[in-house]
Amino acid sequence: MPENAIVAHDLVKVYRGRGRRPEVRALDGLSLTVPAGRVFGLLGPNGAGKSTTTKILTTLSHATSGEAAVDGHDVRTAPDAVRAAIGYVSQGAGTDPILTADENLQIVARMRGIAPREGRARAMQLLEEFGLAEASRRAVSTFSGGMRRRLDVAAALVHRPRVLFLDEPTTGLDPEARAAMWAEIRRLSGEEALTVILTTHYMEEADRLADELLLVNRGRAIVQGTPEELKAALHGDSLRVSLIEPDPAAVRAAVARVAGLRDLVVEASGVDGVLAARTDDASAAVGAVIAALDAAGIRFGQVAASHPTLDDVYLHFVGHTFGDATAPAVTEGVAA
Amino acid sequence: MTSIAVPLRATAPSRSNWFTQTGQVTRRWLISSIRQAWGPMMSLIQPVIWIVLFGQVFHSLGSLPQFGTAGYIDYLVPGILMMTVLYSGAWAGTGSIDDINSGVMDQYLTSPIARSAIITGQLLQQLAINLAQSLVVLGIGWLAGARYPGGLGGMLVALGVATLLATIFCCCSIAVALMSRSQIALISLSQLIVLPATFLSTTMMPAALMPDWVRDVSRGNPMTWAVELGRGGLSGTYPDAGWWQVGGLVVLAVLAFTWAVRSIRAYQRAM
Repeated sequence: MPENAIVAHDLVKVYRGRGRRPEVRALDGLSLTVPAGRVFGLLGPNGAGKSTTTKILTTLSHATSGEAAVDGHDVRTAPDAVRAAIGYVSQGAGTDPILTADENLQIVARMRGIAPREGRARAMQLLEEFGLAEASRRAVSTFSGGMRRRLDVAAALVHRPRVLFLDEPTTGLDPEARAAMWAEIRRLSGEEALTVILTTHYMEEADRLADELLLVNRGRAIVQGTPEELKAALHGDSLRVSLIEPDPAAVRAAVARVAGLRDLVVEASGVDGVLAARTDDASAAVGAVIAALDAAGIRFGQVAASHPTLDDVYLHFVGHTFGDATAPAVTEGVAA
Repeated sequence: MTSIAVPLRATAPSRSNWFTQTGQVTRRWLISSIRQAWGPMMSLIQPVIWIVLFGQVFHSLGSLPQFGTAGYIDYLVPGILMMTVLYSGAWAGTGSIDDINSGVMDQYLTSPIARSAIITGQLLQQLAINLAQSLVVLGIGWLAGARYPGGLGGMLVALGVATLLATIFCCCSIAVALMSRSQIALISLSQLIVLPATFLSTTMMPAALMPDWVRDVSRGNPMTWAVELGRGGLSGTYPDAGWWQVGGLVVLAVLAFTWAVRSIRAYQRAM
């Protein structure tokens, strides 16, 4: 495998408008480099462009402009070579619910060019590895969400790909199934030496699993690095205050004189809101902010101070908290 | 796009051949059909109902001179044969939409398999069901009193023509499904087409009994071509324009298949 499993330059994806539907620029010059053999997280809110990027890199979709290579193969000129080198687990399922787990894996194996006997052995091996051996002859439609997700990953691994794409692999799973999937992803990157591209909008998932992260927002790459590097780049502590029916301008005015606040952002969404900021002295800042809000008659709930999280990294680079990129909240704030 | 600025591999990994790919797609569809047997079973019962229903309702038409001496049931069976595969084929696209919704289609498209294998695999499963339906129609027709002087060869001609007609409508249905990705759009369009295609043809009524404009339309209707060829095969008396009609059905089948394969690209463009 090349040193970099994936290289993409300046990817643009524009969905043309039709009738009253406006044109959508899903990717706006996104570039990324994914080192081989690592778990690479694509982190961003819904609508940020993560899935569009994945679809282009897996050859499902074509970029309007830009270039990309996966495992050394150009996605535009050698799509079949890319397809042979990758496994893809989409946001939905990818296996036939009417067939059994064993039948699904064997059919994938044969389609991928594996001989029948070898395909049967590979299917059984994967079903055992993923804890599905006892359910191998049951219709997939009877599986729990976690079992089905594990089967989807197993199906993507039948042909021993070099790059595995996992698009929101734990969405909809209960905490236990999510923990099991996390353990599986860790095992794959360790024992199998796979390059794993993990798209997620869960901060905790990205923090725990990704060796390296790319923050994506509105179709653009924001910043890339290891979770530790990204968090370490933010000095000091984070301060968050839950607001009740806030007026962002009034909140900003109330805390304007509190010393030592940086990256101050006030957001209102419906009846809720949040004040987020960073500070070098959390204990002093918490008291000062509470006093300032009280004095201004602004209602608030929980107040929390912590070491920087990926939420804070996102806030620092994007300028608002991690929400739906397609439906931004009313935001007031200026990064210091 | 310009050439990529990273070292590229010169060779692609190995992949299965087209026949294996098609065979595995067909295998999946057939297993699915067997597990959901109520669908194929209903599609086998439907032509029985049609033969009994139309055979009884229009029985007295058989005494008209335009039907000749054989009676209405002999006239009706080839029509019901083609009508059955027409209706069945027009619904084939619902399977494609299921595949899109379940994520199976995206799995195919991120695998190194030919787009034509995806279409052919589904088509073969549909044609297998159509063949079973056709045999049921011929059997029930026989029990209802129809006779097939064209013999085994004539029956094979009728089955071959039914296969061509099924190919046309299956592929069109799959193409519409891939482009619209909507069950409602597919079902609405199917209903819009199949009824006029049936009644603007000689499926149940000879051209001589039709109003002029209907007769003119029916001459260019592929359903008429298939029905007349099937009727010719079963009766042993082929229509004068038989070879033209066969040629027309073959051309339409090739065009429909090409459209279905190209619709996969349209589906991907919308992603």
